[in-house]
Amino acid sequence: MSDLTVDVAVVGAGPAGLAAAVAAAEAGAVVAVVDAGTQTGGQFWRHRPETGDADPDGHGHHDWNTFLDLRRRFRAGIAAGRVHHLPGLQVWMASKNDVDGFTLRTTRTVVGGEGVTPTVHAARLVLCPGGYDRQLPVPGWDLPGVMAAGGIQAFIKANGALPGKRFVVAGTGPFLLPVAANIAEAGGEVLAVLESSSLSKWFPHWKAAASVPGKALEGAEYAGIFARHRIPYKTRSIVTAVSGTDRVQTVSWAKADADGRAIPGTGGRYEDVDVIGFGWGFTPQMELPLSFGVQTRLDADGSLVAVVDERQESSVPGLFLAGEVTGVGGAVLAVLEGKAAGTAAADASAVVLPADVLPAKEAARRDRHRRFAQAMHQAHPVPHAWQEWLTPETLVCRCEEVPVSEVTQARSTLGAEDSRSLKSFTRVGMGWCQGRVCGFAGSCLGAGPGEPAAAASLASAAKRPLAVPVPISELASLND
Amino acid sequence: MADLLPEHPDFLWRNPDPKPSYDAIIVGGGGHGLATAYYLAKHHGMTNIAILERGWLAGGNMARNTTIIRSNYLWDESAAIYEHSLRLWEALPDELEYDFLFSQRGVMNLAHTLQDVRESVRRVGANKLNGVDAEWLDADQVKELCPIINTSEDIRYPVLGATYQPRAGIAKHDHVAWAFARKADELGVDIIQNCEVTGFLKDGNRVVGVQTNRGTIHAGKVALCAAGHSSVLAKMAGFDLPIQSHPLQALVSELHEIVHPTVVMSNHVHVYVSQAHKGELVMGAGIDSYNGYGQRGGFHVIEEQMAAAVELFPVFSRAHLLRTWGGIVDVTLDASPIVGKSPVENLYVNCGWGTGGFKGTPGAGWTMAHTIATDEPHALNAPFALERFETGALIDEHGAAAVAH
Ligand SMILES: Cc1cc2nc3c(=O)[nH]c(=O)nc-3n(C[C@H](O)[C@H](O)[C@H](O)COP(=O)(O)OP(=O)(O)OC[C@H]3O[C@@H](n4cnc5c(N)ncnc54)[C@H](O)[C@@H]3O)c2cc1C
Ligand SMILES: Cc1cc2nc3c(=O)[nH]c(=O)nc-3n(C[C@H](O)[C@H](O)[C@H](O)COP(=O)(O)OP(=O)(O)OC[C@H]3O[C@@H](n4cnc5c(N)ncnc54)[C@H](O)[C@@H]3O)c2cc1C
Repeated sequence: MSDLTVDVAVVGAGPAGLAAAVAAAEAGAVVAVVDAGTQTGGQFWRHRPETGDADPDGHGHHDWNTFLDLRRRFRAGIAAGRVHHLPGLQVWMASKNDVDGFTLRTTRTVVGGEGVTPTVHAARLVLCPGGYDRQLPVPGWDLPGVMAAGGIQAFIKANGALPGKRFVVAGTGPFLLPVAANIAEAGGEVLAVLESSSLSKWFPHWKAAASVPGKALEGAEYAGIFARHRIPYKTRSIVTAVSGTDRVQTVSWAKADADGRAIPGTGGRYEDVDVIGFGWGFTPQMELPLSFGVQTRLDADGSLVAVVDERQESSVPGLFLAGEVTGVGGAVLAVLEGKAAGTAAADASAVVLPADVLPAKEAARRDRHRRFAQAMHQAHPVPHAWQEWLTPETLVCRCEEVPVSEVTQARSTLGAEDSRSLKSFTRVGMGWCQGRVCGFAGSCLGAGPGEPAAAASLASAAKRPLAVPVPISELASLND
Repeated sequence: MADLLPEHPDFLWRNPDPKPSYDAIIVGGGGHGLATAYYLAKHHGMTNIAILERGWLAGGNMARNTTIIRSNYLWDESAAIYEHSLRLWEALPDELEYDFLFSQRGVMNLAHTLQDVRESVRRVGANKLNGVDAEWLDADQVKELCPIINTSEDIRYPVLGATYQPRAGIAKHDHVAWAFARKADELGVDIIQNCEVTGFLKDGNRVVGVQTNRGTIHAGKVALCAAGHSSVLAKMAGFDLPIQSHPLQALVSELHEIVHPTVVMSNHVHVYVSQAHKGELVMGAGIDSYNGYGQRGGFHVIEEQMAAAVELFPVFSRAHLLRTWGGIVDVTLDASPIVGKSPVENLYVNCGWGTGGFKGTPGAGWTMAHTIATDEPHALNAPFALERFETGALIDEHGAAAVAH
C-alpha cells in the first residue's frame, strides 16, 4: 500500500471516529480512517466478523441503528472515493510540521502481512482513539483468570464465546451492568456484581441523570436481565483478594465504608470462579494527543483528558479530538463529538463557527451527556481508600513484577512521587504495556495514601513517543 | 531474572536541608557530580561538602544513557583518562560495596569500508601502545564472537572487521548513581535535591558561594558538574564555554532470550545495539543536526540506523520497540571534555563529555576531586583544560566519539 495524502485523517473507527469520518466526507473532504480494528465499530460496537455486504447482527448492542446508519454512510463515502478505510493498522507515531501538515506512521495490528505499511499525510487530523478499562491492583490480580471487564465483553462481542463459565464482575460504574448482562446472555453464570459505590451517590445528581432518559431506559433493561438471570448486584462491596494455586479460584470480598475501606467481619468468598472482571471506569488513550503537546486537564473521574473548544479543536490548530480523549462519556456523546469534529475538520478555511458544526439541538444534547458523564464520575469514584487494600507483596506493575513495597519505599526513601521518578527507581510501567495498565495506580501510589494522581504524573506515564510497540523491521523499511 | 538483581536498598541517603556554608559545593547530582563528591570525601578528606541538584538525583542524562563503557580512544590523552576511568570501574563494585551489574562483555566497533578498516587498525595500534586492550577482528572472528551478526557481503553496510575491546561493557546506570550516593552520604556529603543554582556570589574574580531557590549558600569552592546545563551556569558566573548541544536517541525493545553476547557499535551508521540484563535490546542512534531534530517535533525517526541494525541483526527484525527517548548532550569543538579550572578563581568546571560521559563518570570525578582539592589539575586532566580552545591544543576525538559513544 502506498502513502496517502488527504484533507482529513481520522484515527479510530469507534463511535467518535466513524461519526467524524462520515461528517467530514459528507462535507466534501477526502478522508482517511486508520483504525486498529479489522472492521468498524470500535469498542462499543465491536461485533462478530462481518460476512458479505449484509448488515451485521446487533444482538446485545445499544444504538445499533446509529451504527448501521453510520456504517452505510461510511461505505457510501468509500464507494464515492472520498473515504479511504485503512483497517488493521495502528498509528505508532503522529507528528505535525508546517510543510506537510500532519503525518501518521502506521504498523499492522495483526501479525503477518508483508510490505510497507502506509504513511498518511493530512491537512487536518481528528483523533478518536477511545480508551481502555482502568485497573487498580488488588492482591492476586496477577493470576490468570483476572481480566478487565471490558476485555470479557470484547471477547464475547468479537468471538461470540465466553472465556469461562463462572464469573464475578467488580469495580465501579454503570459499565459493570452491560458486562454482566452480556455474560449472562451468552450463557455464563455471574456470581455477583460488586459495586464499590453506593447508588445514593447519584442522588445529588438526579437532574443530570434525568436529563438523559435513554440511560434510565438502559438501566431498566439491565434490571430486567439481572432479575431474569438472578444476578446479585451488591453495592458498597469490594474485592479484597483473588486467590488460587495457578489461576483464579476464590474471590474474597467485603462490604466497604464510605471511603472504600473493607469493613472487617463482612462479606465472604466466591469459590470455583473462572474469571473475575474488574473495571474502575476508563482511561482515555492519550498518547497520540500528548505527542502533540495538547492542553490537558484532570476530569472528574481523575483521568487526564484533553481540552477542546466547541468545535472539538484542541490547543493545537488543526488537531481535533472526539470521544473518550476529551472526557469519558459514552458512545452517544462520542458520536456527537465526532460529528462536530469531522464537520469542523472538513473546513479548510478554519472559519466554520460552532453553530455550524452541530445543530443547536444536538449541541444541547452533547451538553446534557457531558453533564451526565460528570454526574456518573462523581457517583462512581475510584474509592478514596483503595490503597489500603494492597499488601506489600501485591504487584503494581505486572509486566515488570514490581510489588507495592518497592513503590512505597521509593516514595519514602528516595522522594519518588511521580510516575517518571518511580519508573527510574523501580521499573514500574517499563514493560510491555508501558504503564497503560499500571500508570494510574502508580501515579496514585506516588502521590501517597488517599491522594489523587497528579496531572503531571499521569501525563508523564502516558507520554509514549511510540504510541504502540512497533517492529524494528517496520522502522527499517521506512528507509527504502 | 528479577531476583538476580541486587535488592533495592532500604536506606540510601539522608535528605538534609542545605547548611549556610560548605567547604565545597558541587552543582549537579548526575553521575559526575556524585563521583566528584565521593572522591573528594574519600581521597582528599573534604567532607564538609554538598551536592546541589535542581531535580532529583541522577534524573538527567545519567538516567537516559545507554551505559556503554570502553576506553579505546585514539589520542594518548583520551586513552589515558578513559583507561583510568575503566580501571576505576573495575574496582568500584567492591569499593562501593554495591553490585551495579558492571558486565565486561566487550564492545565491538564495526568497520564497513576500507577507510574504516584503515582507521580501525591504526586505532588498535595506538591503543596497544597506550596499554589499552584492543584487538582487530576480521569478519570471521566477528561472527565467531557474535554469531547473530550478519557478515554476508551483499548488505548495505558489509562487516569487513571490527575493533574489539574485551574489558569494555555495560552497567546499570541507576545503580551506579545509588552506589556513589550512598557512599558519599556515608562519608558526610550532603546530597540536596530540588535545589537549583540560580547565580553565583563573587568577591572580585573569586567565587564565594551560590544563590539557589533554597537560599544563598556560601562555599570555599564551587564545581560545575551540570552536563548540558553547564553553558548556562558558566554564563551566570561570567565566562563562556565552547559547547554545542546535540540530540541523541535511544530505543528499547521488549524482553527477549539472551542471544546477543556483546555490544556492537557502528560509527559509520551511528547505531549500536546491546542486550541489557533482563533481555531487552537497547539501541542507540545519533541524530545529525539539532535543527532537524527541533523541526521534526521533538522526535526524529532514525530509519536509516534501524535499517542498518536489521541488516546486521536479522534476528531482531521482529522485535518490537516499546519506547524511545532522547537526550541532549553537550559537545565541544574537538569532541573531548573540559575538566579543570575556570577563569573564575575557585570555580571548577567539568562538562563537554558529549556522548561518552557515562563511561567517564569515575574518571571525571576522580580528576575533578584532585583539581578541586589541590587547585591544580592532575596530569590526567591537564590536557582537558578550557584554555586549549585558545591555545589550539585540541584533542580531536571526532572519529572515536562523534555520535556513537
Ligand atoms: C472494552 C470496552 C467496552 C465497553 N463497553 C461499553 C458498553 O457496553 N456500554 C457503554 O455504554 N460503554 C461501553 N464502553 C465505553 C464506550 O465504548 C465508549 O464510551 C465509546 O466507545 C467511545 O467511543 P470512541 O469512538 O471514543 O472510542 P472507541 O470505541 O474505543 O474507538 C476507538 C478506536 O480507535 C482505535 N484506535 C485506538 N488507538 C489507535 C491507534 N493508535 N491507531 C489506530 N487505531 C486506534 C481502536 O482500535 C478503536 O477501534 C466500553 C469501553 C471499552 C474500552
Ligand atoms: C541517549 C543517550 C545515550 C547515551 N549513551 C551513553 C553511553 O552509552 N555511554 C556513555 O559513556 N555515555 C552515554 N551518554 C552520555 C552520558 O549520559 C553523559 O555524558 C553523562 O551522563 C553526563 O554526566 P552526568 O551523569 O553528570 O550528567 P547528568 O545526569 O545530566 O547530570 C547533570 C545534573 O545537573 C543538574 N543541573 C543542571 N543545572 C543545574 C542547576 N542550575 N542547579 C542544580 N543542578 C543543576 C541536572 O538536573 C542534572 O541532574 C548518553 C547520553 C544520551 C542522552
